[in-house]
Amino acid sequence: MGAKGFFTDTTICIGCKACEVACKQWNQLPDDGFALSGMSYDNTVALGASTWRHVAFIERPVPLSNQIADGFSWIFSSDVCKHCARAGCLESCPTGAIVRTEFDSVFVQSDICNGCGYCVVNCPFGVIDRREDDGRAWKCTLCYDRLKEDMTPACAKACPTASIQFGDLDELRQRAHQRVDHLHELGMNEAYLYGADKESQPGTEGLNAFFLLVDKPEVYNLPPDPVAPAKKVKESWISMGLAALGVAAVAFGAVLAAREGNGHG
Amino acid sequence: MVRTDGRDIDLSLGVLSGEGSHQHVESVDERIKQIEPKPWGQMPTLSQHDPTYYDRPMLKEPVWKIDIPVYYFLGGAAGAALALGAAAQLLGDKGLQKFGRNCHIIGIIGSTVGGGLLIHDLGRPERFLNMMRVFRPTSPMNVGAWILSGAAPLAIAAGLFSNRPGMWGWIGSAAGYGAGVFGLALAGYTGVLISNTAIPIYQQVRRLMPVLFLSSAAASAASILDIVFEDPRAHRITLIFGTAGRLAELATGFAIEREAGKVEQVARPLKTGVSGALWRTAEVLTVASLVLAVVPGKSTARRKWAGVFGALGSLALRLAVHYAGAASARDPRASFRQQRAGFGAAELGNG
Repeated sequence: MGAKGFFTDTTICIGCKACEVACKQWNQLPDDGFALSGMSYDNTVALGASTWRHVAFIERPVPLSNQIADGFSWIFSSDVCKHCARAGCLESCPTGAIVRTEFDSVFVQSDICNGCGYCVVNCPFGVIDRREDDGRAWKCTLCYDRLKEDMTPACAKACPTASIQFGDLDELRQRAHQRVDHLHELGMNEAYLYGADKESQPGTEGLNAFFLLVDKPEVYNLPPDPVAPAKKVKESWISMGLAALGVAAVAFGAVLAAREGNGHG
Repeated sequence: MVRTDGRDIDLSLGVLSGEGSHQHVESVDERIKQIEPKPWGQMPTLSQHDPTYYDRPMLKEPVWKIDIPVYYFLGGAAGAALALGAAAQLLGDKGLQKFGRNCHIIGIIGSTVGGGLLIHDLGRPERFLNMMRVFRPTSPMNVGAWILSGAAPLAIAAGLFSNRPGMWGWIGSAAGYGAGVFGLALAGYTGVLISNTAIPIYQQVRRLMPVLFLSSAAASAASILDIVFEDPRAHRITLIFGTAGRLAELATGFAIEREAGKVEQVARPLKTGVSGALWRTAEVLTVASLVLAVVPGKSTARRKWAGVFGALGSLALRLAVHYAGAASARDPRASFRQQRAGFGAAELGNG
């Protein structure tokens, strides 16, 4: 048991999409249609109800710092559900369909989900989605069925370069920090960890699937300072309470003004 | 038989037991098909200071259909009417009994039809009772489900039993007071519900959204009472209640434009597109109803027109909020710039 997660090291991703295929195959997910997006080699486009791994292909007009060819760099990143420590989807789920497992992953129980769509707008990363014909919300399960059997999730198992690493979170974090130090020694100073712990990403209190990136998060379609929406909602409840008191006061005043003897109606 | 949904499993040989195997598929997800390949050279370039991922949305658009903004409107009107009905019960004289009853009728219709719309919008409507299998304060939608399931039966009880003699009357009044309290929550929680999302524009104005929803609810309750019922005793009440609601609705609307305008990209849906047009329409209609309502004179037609404009203004406002959320979710720069401007987790003070 204990907290499990992914460390995705984008510097060694080769964009083979084996993770996408392995995920689809193991989880028996339906296809997303075959369309050419024109976005480099990325024809998957985004994570969704039936896409739980998505490789982003980024063509940049600048080189990486230790790169020989200049003027251009092509970088890849395999995106996945982050299984946040403070998960917007889980906190917002009104049915309790979304739960945290014994592996600290976030899991949607599809036999309970009633498809209200609230998690879809509560994910600060735009991961979880509801498909129209199914009517329920779906996302990466961190291969819960495989973890139960002590197996590695399909994507990490299939990754040929160990860009996707699976393991105990504490150990993964340690390994990730060592990797960043190593890259810095090699002169790749832009390498940094995204969402590795609570300190670096207070809004989500750390991601159980975190990343090593070499450019701004926005380049990978990741938010620079995400926050679990429920962390901010107290102010909304307070202003609702005050406004409700205001409406009640006006209602009382209006009725009093209309009483017999208080002028005409 | 080979399935044609991409799983390509021969059911005589294979087993569908994967965690995504029960995902029901009729056609390819429409949103994926929407991609139109652009000719080489027209792809959005990755600018170094303001990057996005090919201008693709970072967030998912809300999957809610038009049922939801209509529910905001109906639930709001019902909730405010129930509060008004409770006030009339508590402080009104005998002549206001009919007015209290009219309030209960609007409360009953709004909360039951609204509840029906909510169930209709679910991806799995037959599972709507799953909302009640937990009580989860971190989910405004769960809290709202409990509020609605309190408000609707109380409104019905108040409508059936109020002003009856004996014990039934006592039950009716108690239900009426309860419905008033639940009604205020019903009119306001939807504002909290959408504030509790990752959608940039909703999150930015989260302190004002419940105020907007409650004032709009008060305006629409007064408007509907004026349109539907002819009760001379009630005119003074709906005039005061409606005018306060419409003024607060307009003032909060301007405050929201200012608050959202702190990050220009976040405020864009209020100025452009369908949501921007609806937002302006709502303002114009509310001003029109305000002017018509406060002009002195006893014309019934004028009062009814004020009600029509007020109700339509409130409905347009809820639709504007709905479409603004979708537009905001589609725009990756709204989130990126909002968070870069310090309105992400940094706002909480520990980042």
